[in-house]
This record gives sequence, C-alpha cells and structure tokens, in this order.
Amino acid sequence: MLLPSMIVLAAVSLFPFFFMIYASFMDYALDMDKPRFAGFDNWKGVLTADTFWESWGRTAVYAGGGLIAQLALGIAVALLLYHIPKFRNLFSTLLMLPLFVAPIVTGLLWRFLLDPTYGLYNWFLQKLGMNVQILGDTAYAMPAVILMDVWEWTPLITIIVLAGLQTVPEEPLEAAEVDGANGWQKVRYILLPMVRRMIVVALLVRSMDILRYVDTITIATEGGPADATKIIGYYLMQVAFRFQDIGGAAALGLTMLIVSTLLGRFFIKVMRSEEA
Amino acid sequence: MAASRRALHTVLYLLLLVILAWGLVPILYMMLSSVKTQVNMFSMPPKLIFQPTFDVYGEMFAGRGDFAEFLTNSVIVALVTTALSLLLGVMGGFALARGNFKREKDISFWIISTRMAPIPAVILPLYLIFSKLGLIGTTTGLVFAYTTFNLPFALWMMSTFFKDVPIDLEEAAMIDGCSKFRAFWRVAVPTAAPGIVATGVLCLMFAWNDYSFASIFTGNGTQTVPIAVSLLVSQSGIKWGQAMATGTVIIMPMVLCGFLVRKYMVRGLSMGAVK
Repeated sequence: MLLPSMIVLAAVSLFPFFFMIYASFMDYALDMDKPRFAGFDNWKGVLTADTFWESWGRTAVYAGGGLIAQLALGIAVALLLYHIPKFRNLFSTLLMLPLFVAPIVTGLLWRFLLDPTYGLYNWFLQKLGMNVQILGDTAYAMPAVILMDVWEWTPLITIIVLAGLQTVPEEPLEAAEVDGANGWQKVRYILLPMVRRMIVVALLVRSMDILRYVDTITIATEGGPADATKIIGYYLMQVAFRFQDIGGAAALGLTMLIVSTLLGRFFIKVMRSEEA
Repeated sequence: MAASRRALHTVLYLLLLVILAWGLVPILYMMLSSVKTQVNMFSMPPKLIFQPTFDVYGEMFAGRGDFAEFLTNSVIVALVTTALSLLLGVMGGFALARGNFKREKDISFWIISTRMAPIPAVILPLYLIFSKLGLIGTTTGLVFAYTTFNLPFALWMMSTFFKDVPIDLEEAAMIDGCSKFRAFWRVAVPTAAPGIVATGVLCLMFAWNDYSFASIFTGNGTQTVPIAVSLLVSQSGIKWGQAMATGTVIIMPMVLCGFLVRKYMVRGLSMGAVK
C-alpha cells in the first residue's frame, strides 16, 4: 500500500532532485534543450558572486530577526492565554486568523497599509512624526517584511505552545504555590521547561517555512529597494527566470536544499526524542 | 489576594485586546476597504461610517475580467491535488503506521525533507522537466507541482493519525474473518476519519494559497486566484479596491476551513509533532 505513494513521491521529489544536480553541471545558455557540459563553472560562478553571499546574509537577518520576534511574542501570547480564566478559546481562535491569509495577500495588504499616500499605518506613523516611505527606504524595508512574517506566523507559535501549556499537570504548580513561588517563578521554572519540546518544534517548523516562501516579499518589495530585501529564495527566482541562468540557479537551489535538509534532520530527531 | 488577582486578570485581558487588534485590524481593514468607494478608501483619517458599495465585487464577477475563470481554476487545482494526495496518503500513511520497516527512519526523513524543501528550489527542476513534457501552462502540471508538498504532508499526517488508532480494533475485525484490506477500510479509515478530513482541508489550504508555483507553471486560461492578485500590481499603479476585494475572496473560504478543523490545527501546523 505504500508503494504507489513512494513511486509518486520519487517522481515528484527524487527525480527532480537528481535532475537539479545534473543541471548544476550543465550550460543552458545557448540552447535550453541541448545543454552543454560545463563542469564546475556554474558552481564557481555562484559561489564567487557577491550577490550570493549577500543574499544569504539577508536571509540570515530575515530569518533570524523574524524567528526571534515571533518566538518571543508567540510564547508571551500563549502564556497570556494560559493565565486568563475565561474566553481562552474565543481569543485563541480569533488570533489564529492571520494564519489562513495567503502570503501573497499578506504582502499586498501590508503594502497597502504602509502606502506613503493611502496607507492606514503610514498615516499613524505620520501622526507620530515619522515621515518615511517604509517600503521604499533601504533602512526600513527589511524590518517591514520581517514584521509581515511576524504578523502572519506568530499565531502558529502561540497555538503550539498553548497546546503544550494545557497539558502541564497541576501537581508541580500547586506544590510550587505551597512553597511560596510567585507567578513569574512558576512560568520560569515549571511552565517553560515543561513546554520546551513544543517550543523547539514550533521553531523548527517555522525555520523551514521561512526559507520556503518568497510570496510576501515578491509582492511587497520585489526584493528592493536596492536589493535590501533580496533573500536567497527571491534571488534564485531571479537567476532562473529573469536572468535565465538555469545552471547557476540549480547550483544555488542545491545550497538552499542543504540548509533545509539539515533542519529537517533535526526535526525528525526532536520528534522522536520524546515520542515513546 | 482576590482583588489583586482580579486586577492582574484585567491587565491580561487588556494586553490580549491589544494583541487581537494587531492581528485583526489588517484583515478587517481589508474587508472594510473592499466595500468603500475610491474616495472613501483613500481618505485619512479612515472613515469608519460610510455607505457601503459592492461595486468592486460586481465588476470582478460581472465585468469583462476573467475573475470567475481564475476562481474556477483555483477550485479545480486545489480539489484535484487534495484528492490525489489523500488517496495515496491514506493508504501509504496506514502502511507506514502499521508496517515494520527497517528503513522507516530514512523514509520519514525523506518525506519531511520533501515537504519542507524551499519552494524556489523545487520550482526550478520541475520547470525543466515540465518544459520537456509540455506541462508548462497546464492544469495537470500545477496539480503535480502541488503534489510535491501535499503528498508528503498527507502521508506524514495520516501515519500519525493511524498510529493513534488502536491496533486491537483491526485485529479483532481480522479474527472475525475480515481480510487485512477490509480491516483497513471498514475499521481503521472510519476511526481516523476526522484526521483524514483535517489533513484534506490543510492540503486544500496549501494549494489554494500558493502563488510561487502558479506564477511559473500557469499560463493564459489556467491561472489561479493568487495570480489575479499579482496582476493588479503594475507599473502604472495598484488597483487597491480590487486588490482588497480579491484578497477578501481568497481568505474567506480558508477562514471557514480553518475554523472547521480548528481542533486539528495544532497538529497539522506542527507536522504531527504536537497533538
């Protein structure tokens, strides 16, 4: 019964994967249909290009900044929800809404909110005395696209961590109370350690996903201004479909796959660690 | 003590309201803007009380535009990839949950890395293969492309759901004379039915919300709704009214779906790692 899935999965994943390795050693420049062997030229070209390293650098800022912010906020909101006596389900359901918004809509919606002439949030910022074109300014564009990711995906962290908090048994908390622990101490020494696995799971899922998507950036900034938000995935799309450098793009794609595969390996390990 | 606790709760609720505003204002503002006239939509401070108009929606559906076609394409592609992934995923997931594989760890790793592979890195080789097979610009191509992440997702989720079905149930059925397949079909599948529905809804959502694959693999006549969104952005400006309306149309069904399988959301979004 597993066989049909494995065959289809091989066709849609293994075969393309090997094809990409093959493509990374071929030169497609002259003839798309009859590529010539290029040896390590594509790899050399990609690995020595400044843009490649700069894009990975921006990816690190984007992923690092986004993950830290949504993790901190997500855990904080989960703890808030855990501590309220009523309406917990109502609040958590409403808070989940951004998760269902297509990333392309998120990008365009935030572009509208931050629009220098018509934007609601831009108007707020102007009232606060801040007069900048957020998405058109190299200093603000990256924080803005990070904010979009945080807006859309913080609820994922929140609901995963909240699910963990709700399974924490009563006894250690009561014992701590008897011993005179205050609320913060209970959070710090009992609740957080007990949901550590959920936090790691949420973080891993988000790290893989933050590498996966480029939709939001594609519509909000198109990698600009002046490449300020050009993360590696967006750069790959450009190399492949704008510059039509298929071999180079294949090499570039493989560097992305290496990173996501390492994260995947780590995820399996965590998943198994406390399963049985 | 009780008084200080009540004060604390008040503070917590107030904080939550702020968080709620941060999450919901953009969505509400989008819906509100989609029923405003151009003048009202652009006026600052924002108008909260106004005469709503559904002109933009009317234009989208009745006008010369192809919005209905985009919508049809989206529905077809999302449904077909979901059906395909579920069909294979339910069988395969069951085998994964029940079988004793020597290489089970490798298979799991393969499934997860396929599901989580960066989309641009998946698009490129598929593009090369599809061009050779003449699948660029076709609905079939897009369905295959979505299956690259929906099939591993369905396999993975269904194996975790089937692991929750007590094996005794199937064994009892088999003692009563059921074949192995009948035990799967009449016992395991109905017991795991909520999990199947939840997995299907999430597959639907991933396909429906995708822009990147669709931007490369679709052409005239096969484009999906997220492409309609991107077409509203051009050199000469952005059609904000239509953008807000299209955005609203895209998210509404997904919000409904999300609420429908709310109970399984945590499990789906954590790839089965948290129940």
